[in-house]
Order: sequence, then C-alpha cells, then structure tokens
Amino acid sequence: MATVTARVSDFEVEPTETISRTRALWHVIRRKPLGMASAVVLLLVVLTAIFADIMAPYDPLATQPEIRLSAPSRAHPFGTDDIGRDVFSRVIYGSRISLWVGLLAVGIGTAVGMWIGLLCGYCEGRLDLTLQRVMDAIQAIPGLVLALAIVSVLKPSTTNAMLAIAVVIIPGNSRIVRGAVLSAKQNRYVEAAQAIGCRHPRIIMRHILPNVTAPILIIGSIWFGNAILIEATLSFLGVGTQPPTPSWGLMLSSTGRAFMEQAPWLAIFPGLAISLAVLGFNLFGDTLRDAWDPRLRRQG
Amino acid sequence: MYKYVIRRLLLAVPVLLLSSLIVFGLMRVMPGDALTALMAESGNVGERELKKLRKDLGLDKPYYEQYLLWVWQMVSFNPGDSIFTNEPIPVSLKKAIPVTVELAALAMILGLVIAIPIGVLSATRQDTPSDYAGRVVAVSGLSLPDFWLGTLVITFAAIWFRWIPPIGYVSFWESPWRNLQQFLLPAAVLGFRLSAATMRMTRSTVLEVLREDYVRTAWAKGLGGRIVVYKHALKNALIPVVTIVGGQLGVLLAGTVVVETIFALPGMGRLTVEAILYRDYPVVQTNVMLVAATLVTLNLIVDLTYAWLDPRIRYS
Repeated sequence: MATVTARVSDFEVEPTETISRTRALWHVIRRKPLGMASAVVLLLVVLTAIFADIMAPYDPLATQPEIRLSAPSRAHPFGTDDIGRDVFSRVIYGSRISLWVGLLAVGIGTAVGMWIGLLCGYCEGRLDLTLQRVMDAIQAIPGLVLALAIVSVLKPSTTNAMLAIAVVIIPGNSRIVRGAVLSAKQNRYVEAAQAIGCRHPRIIMRHILPNVTAPILIIGSIWFGNAILIEATLSFLGVGTQPPTPSWGLMLSSTGRAFMEQAPWLAIFPGLAISLAVLGFNLFGDTLRDAWDPRLRRQG
Repeated sequence: MYKYVIRRLLLAVPVLLLSSLIVFGLMRVMPGDALTALMAESGNVGERELKKLRKDLGLDKPYYEQYLLWVWQMVSFNPGDSIFTNEPIPVSLKKAIPVTVELAALAMILGLVIAIPIGVLSATRQDTPSDYAGRVVAVSGLSLPDFWLGTLVITFAAIWFRWIPPIGYVSFWESPWRNLQQFLLPAAVLGFRLSAATMRMTRSTVLEVLREDYVRTAWAKGLGGRIVVYKHALKNALIPVVTIVGGQLGVLLAGTVVVETIFALPGMGRLTVEAILYRDYPVVQTNVMLVAATLVTLNLIVDLTYAWLDPRIRYS
C-alpha cells in the first residue's frame, strides 16, 4: 500500500496560487516530453514563417521548366513541381500564409467571441438568451460548410477565408467565455465592487476579464491548429488562397493531386507541413490546459 | 421524458429559423444579387433574359417575401430548381443523400471499431509502449488533414497495389461488392479522423472507471480481466463516449464534403461544393439548411440515447 507523506509547510502555503502563468507553463513544458515537443514545433513554425526570406533557398514563385517534376535531391530537398518551382521554398513560404491566417482568424474570432461572451455572461437576461440562440444557430451549421458558404459569397481569397474561419470560431469562444464570466461573477470581490458603486465597464475590465484570459488563451491555441486546417481545406477545395501564392492546402490540390503518381513528393511535403503545424498547436493547447486549468494544476 | 423531447423540439425551431435567416442573409450579402454575379461571370446574357430569370426565381420580390417563400418551399419539401443544371433540387438530393448516409454510417462504424479497442488497450496498459502508440494514433487522427490522407491513400494504393477505386458510383443494391470497393477507402479515411477524439475519450473514461469501487469489487471477486474490463468497466465508460460521438457529427458531415470531393463520390458534400463553386445559391441554401436540420435532430437523438444508456439521468 502506498504511503503519503507531507511536510507541515505543504499545508501552510499554496504555492500553486502564487506562481505566475508563465512559470506554470514552463514547469509543465519542462516536465512533459509532449509539452516540450509541442513548444519546439511551435517555435520552429513561427521562426520559419518569420525568417522565410533567409531560410528559403529559392524564390517560391521562380519557375525552371527544365527541371520540372524532379525528385528530391541535394539542390531541391523536397523536389520541384510541374513548372519547376522549388517545393522546399514553397513549403517554407507556405508557413507564412498558415500562421497569418491562424493568427488573424483566431484573433478576430476570439476577440468578438470574448465580447459576446462577456456581455452575455455579465448582463444575462434577454440579451443573453437572444445572443446565445444566434450562436446556437451558427453552430448548427458545420464549421467547414459555413466557412465554404461565407467564402463563396465573399469571393475566394486568403483574407476572406480568414474572415470565414473567424466567424466559425466566434460561437464556441463566446460560450466558453460566458461560462467563465458566470462563475467569476459569483466571486465576493465582484459583489464588493458592485456594492461600492464601481461602474460596469470597470468591473468587467478589472475584476472579470482577468478571470477569463486563461480559458481564452487555451481555447485560442487549440483553435489555431483548427484554423490552419480549415484554411488548408478551403484552399484545397479551391475557395481559399489562390494561385500562385504558396499555401500548403493549395499546393496539395493544384499539383499534389494532379501528379500524385508521377511525383508523390508534391503531395507528401505540404501535407507533412500542415500535419506538423496542426499537431504542434493541438499539443501546445493541451500543455496550456495542463498548466493553467486550476483543477489540473492542483493535481500536478 | 416526453416533455423533455417536446421542449427540445420546440427549442430547435427558433434555432433552425435563425440558421435559415443566416443562410438566407448570407446568400444576399453579395453586391447585387447572386444571379448578377453568376451572369457577370458567365458573360453574354441579355438584359431581357436576366430580367425573366430573376422574375422566375422570385428575385424581384422584396427580401422578406423571398425569405418567407423560401421557408415555405423548404417546409413543403419543394425547394425549387438548380440555377445551373435546372434539375429540381429534390431530385438531386434524392440521388446524393443515400451516398452521404452510406459514407457517414460506414465511417462512423469504422471509427468506433478503431477507437474503442485502442482506447481500452491504452487505458488498461497505461504508460506502456502500447499506450503511447495508441495516443500517437489518436493525436495523428486529429492533426492529419483528411484531404491529405485521402490523397495519399489513393496514390499509394495505385503505386503499390496498382489499384484504384472503381469510378462511377454504383448503389449497394445494384452491386454490393463494387459499391463497397468504392466506399471502403473514403470511409476508412473519415473513420480514422473520427476515431481520434473517441479514442482519447474512451481512454480517459476507462481509466477513471477502472479506479471505481465496483471495479475493485469485481477484481476482488476473482473475475477475469476481460470480464472486468469489458462487462463491468466498459459499459459505464462508454456513456460519456456517446456525447463525444454526438459532438463528432458536425466533423463527420464536414468530412464528407472533403472526402466525397477527393474520391469522386456524388454525395451531398460534393453537391454542395460544386454548387458553391458555381454560385448555385438555391442549392447551397437548401443543402446548408438540410445539414443544419440534420445536425440539430441528430444531436437531440444523441441526448436521448444518453438518457437511455444511463438511467440515472432524468430530463425534466
């Protein structure tokens, strides 16, 4: 039978309450190999996107028809496509589109979702009921189908794909923030702030918002991976990023599928890049949850 | 229970009405209207023809009238014709729905067949190499895009086995073998994606249930491992899994859009993508609404199944 030992000091202070979020995150990253792996992948994707100009050996749009569809070699590690563009350079530049779309879509979707959630949770009543039914109505349509419909209306482009993804993100975020606000409102200090006559905006900004930032960041990082996946899917279906811009999804659909038997590397490398980025963000989301979810933090 | 079902059905009505407003509004956000956009793209259409077409489609009426007419058409199962093919929409749907239903059902079955045993194995052998392997499979299922997996499966089946799925859809009743050959790969790709979340959920709920007192009692009685896990633990562990499966229905329906496009299956997904690409908005709005209605209904069924599986849950 296992024995449990504890020092008296363990009960006197609550270290989990005092450590900062960054330290809690670092603690989990260091302890869990998957957390470390996700942080490394994330860093790699971000650095690749930032330093694409330096890292890419060729111009992603430069064509060399004489070496079209050549297999991976030392000069072209991921081979070349049907008009002789270097796939390695295109995959590197593709990370920019994916990250950009992820960042803006998640940023807009999270910001709008957060404000709707804050309003619903803080005001409750009729406003809450109406807005949440609208969120239900948006959620009744599968994300990809809704994004497809929005993009078809707005005209296919990277920016519109990003806006469509943002709309898909809003309802889920608003619901999570609403839940967090409803529970934060129960705190005594919120009651105290109301009692001393604080104005609503101040209560929301000073006393409620800090309570909902952790769930927002966690859900945001998980959505980031999904946003990359949806952008790639929209581009793959022809309604996202348009040629010749190097987008991972587009690379797969335009040349990857057409030449898949002749040149499988055209399909393999962009797909691997998408999977790695999505995997990195998914795992990082899990890591953030482990670090910041108070219930899990106490167990850890 | 009946009261709960009726209340849920009544709640679904405003949600679906709002969804229909969103879809209808979306299709009219375009500068001008859908038809002008369509004609501008195809060119050489006379002003008179355009006017006639607009009148035929009811686009010259005020928005609220158009909306009410469309809702009535949807409720009376007569959503009109496609602008592009002129085929009545119910006719195209009648051809497309069985394809999607078969694909979705097969994918769901394959997904569960993959997810539950691996989830149980992961839980019963926690922190062993088989657990890690199971978890890697689950995380890959969440991260590998289905369009990539589909493309790779077709490519490698062609390169290694010199085999490509038969082209041209054949229904199951016409030729079961040919039909299964067409559906097996797409269903496996979709099923793999679906299995990821179910696998993770099965693992965590089985882990939780294995620590319960009644499972300890079962072990103490001297029951065999298989009986304890499958007869005692799994039964209770599967209840939350039903919710996850319910949550996956949206992923499943969205997945059919991609997979049908890659494997050239003439289902609802492909019909919708084609309609979107051709801006065939009567088809788009009908299909999207149908998908929303299906999702709302299926979610209700999942909730009721939950109550049926766990008699402790009583809805009021």
